[in-house]
Amino acid sequence: MRKTSSLFSAALFAVALCAGGQGVARAQDAPPGDAAEGKRLYLATGCFTCHGRAGQGGALNGPAPILARTAMPFDGFMGQLRQPINEMPAYSEIVMSDKQIADIYAFLQTLPGPLPTKDMAIFKE
Amino acid sequence: MSKRRPLPDPDRRKFLKGVTLAGAAAAVTPPVAAAAQGAAPRAQLKAVAPGPIQAALETSSPEKDPQTQTTSGGDFMVDVLKTLDIDYLAMNCASSFRGLHEAVINYGKNVRPEILTCNHEEIAVAMGHGYAKMEGKPLAMICHGVVGLQHATMAMYNAWCDRVPVYCIGGNILEANKRGNSTAEWVHSAVDIAASVRDYTKWDDQPASLQHFAESAVRAYKIATTPPMGPVLLSLDAELQENPISDGEKLHIPKLSKVVPPQADSGAIAEVAKLLVNAEAPLIVVDRMARTPAGMARLVELAEVLQCAVMDRFGRTNFPSRHPLNQTFRRNVVVAQADVILAIEMNDHWAALNAFHDRIVRTSQPLYKPGTMIISLGLRDMYLKANYQDFGRFSDIDMSVAGDGEASLPALTEAVKKLVDAGRKSAYEARGKRYAAARLAMLEQAKSDATVGWDAAPITTGRMCAEVYAQIKDEDWSLVGNTIGNTWPMRLWNIDKAHRWNGGSGGAGVGYNAPASLGAALANKRHGRLTVTFNGDGDLLFVPTTLWTAAHHRIPILYIVQNNRAYHQEYMYLQTMANRHGRGIENAHIGTTITDPNVDYATVARGFGVYGEGPITDPKDLAPALKRAIAVVKRGEPALIDVVTDPR
Repeated sequence: MRKTSSLFSAALFAVALCAGGQGVARAQDAPPGDAAEGKRLYLATGCFTCHGRAGQGGALNGPAPILARTAMPFDGFMGQLRQPINEMPAYSEIVMSDKQIADIYAFLQTLPGPLPTKDMAIFKE
Repeated sequence: MSKRRPLPDPDRRKFLKGVTLAGAAAAVTPPVAAAAQGAAPRAQLKAVAPGPIQAALETSSPEKDPQTQTTSGGDFMVDVLKTLDIDYLAMNCASSFRGLHEAVINYGKNVRPEILTCNHEEIAVAMGHGYAKMEGKPLAMICHGVVGLQHATMAMYNAWCDRVPVYCIGGNILEANKRGNSTAEWVHSAVDIAASVRDYTKWDDQPASLQHFAESAVRAYKIATTPPMGPVLLSLDAELQENPISDGEKLHIPKLSKVVPPQADSGAIAEVAKLLVNAEAPLIVVDRMARTPAGMARLVELAEVLQCAVMDRFGRTNFPSRHPLNQTFRRNVVVAQADVILAIEMNDHWAALNAFHDRIVRTSQPLYKPGTMIISLGLRDMYLKANYQDFGRFSDIDMSVAGDGEASLPALTEAVKKLVDAGRKSAYEARGKRYAAARLAMLEQAKSDATVGWDAAPITTGRMCAEVYAQIKDEDWSLVGNTIGNTWPMRLWNIDKAHRWNGGSGGAGVGYNAPASLGAALANKRHGRLTVTFNGDGDLLFVPTTLWTAAHHRIPILYIVQNNRAYHQEYMYLQTMANRHGRGIENAHIGTTITDPNVDYATVARGFGVYGEGPITDPKDLAPALKRAIAVVKRGEPALIDVVTDPR
């Protein structure tokens, strides 16, 4: 059940990637997680190398999406970690437990998202 | 006890007696003197005739050992080079081309070509690589034909993969009996210096006479600059350079006539035009199309007639980044929607239209839908070599049209215009509006994305690129180098002219960016442009003495070191490998990170005579540092800012 749900959520994630946006729905059903522990894990397990320390996104051979305040449902997020699409390396249960994934997810929700750019002088032409 | 002296050789005693008597007999003895000597009996004279060697020494002229000369082959070679529109000769000096070197600086007055002093032959070639793309013509590079060429090879490979002309010359000593006693002349000579680079040069030769040199030198330039372009190599014998010219009045320098690149066949053009006009969702994908500043305008005209999506692979500056039809960052959408794809001068056709999965079992799938008509237009297939696999994976293509992309566009555009009627025009306008709306949305999204982690340290690449653009956007700026995976300039900046971007390395050989950027900056200098480059820290460490060349030759350029303190691509690959094995990434830093100690690039720069500032770790310090550095560059000098960034 989880695998099917994960694959479906991963597909949604892929569509979100293609559309270049993060979607509008916030995660509602994530299990509780320890954000401080999540930050430690995010760095220790190498998430930051592709997705950036602030979850700002990056690239491996293709784009690695923004994770700060990700709107991806938790099941999809876990599915992407276990059986990722594209080139993301997989995080098996050996290197990351379900609880640790929940911690990372909680950490990502604490990161500042994008700023409103309309009045930022730096972007004025 | 004293040593006994050996008894004299009796035969020698007789010989010496004979010589003495012969010498005495040779003198004219006047009768009075003879009478005065008394009537002693004369011994029979036995003169020994000299042998052939002694006779030759006594009768022939002394061996020639001239000390000066009034002509030299090198002088003639300079005459030839001056006909080839070569502005610069980049080099690290070497004895095997001392003849030509001296001729350039004295006979040629160090003008056209002017020598660029480099501290590694790789820098010399890469400067040529960047210069040629920006200026539209090659510069020359000269090196030791053996050890210097070995240094130069990776940069030549990059130029080959990128299809860029670099005019390379290697010094050599062909005649074995002319190589000196010193070890260097033998280990620096070869029968065939080009053997090591023949797989990634277009052409090479080893002239045996000055007339041969003249013809080969002109031919080499012509071949290098004929699309598909590429590096060439001349092996130059030292004796040919140094010896006086005999029969100089018979020497002739042939004319250089540059090849006009071929346009595609008119019938093929007509067919392509029909396919594009009838398509519901045509897509143009382009990589190395723009050879000259005219290329961008030609593609804009075609795209606007069709109101079709354009996807740029950034091998050259092919299409304005903010043009409403630029759909580069909607790649998956536009490729999936396309029913006709026209791919122009592609480097890697397959990679542009397929997705590849770097997994334990490597798989791939096309990004386009079944039944999509794929057309290739370009010259790449006209000249390929087999050993190095830079030609990429063989692609499913429905129609291959041979012709220079840029040269063929006007005819294609005219053919399209003739077929577009009012009905189609109206349909095109509708799709054009959709693309324009998507393009605007992408720009706003890019700005929003760049603000994530805006105040974070290490500094995000989005913040870095936004800050840089804010300082240069009102100048005549030129971005001549970039780091791996950094798409922010293409997403955020207004790339609207041919010189705004200079393409990548071609062969992904590390150590390209710093010197190639410098070569492009040299080209930009005469146009008064503000040259900027993002340089990876690892890349700069391969060729740090590029900075000295920048200072020495007063080449204005702003190096922004994107200092993520690692060979980060390889770090991520190790992470991938470790994850496959469930081993964690605790050791992935081994062999990949550049820390302990951290390199202080500002101090390195200052050591080479370049203004240096950093490391900048707080994003708020970026703008003031950039202002200071840009002021230096606008004074005509190089500058470097070390920015400590997040990995990507």
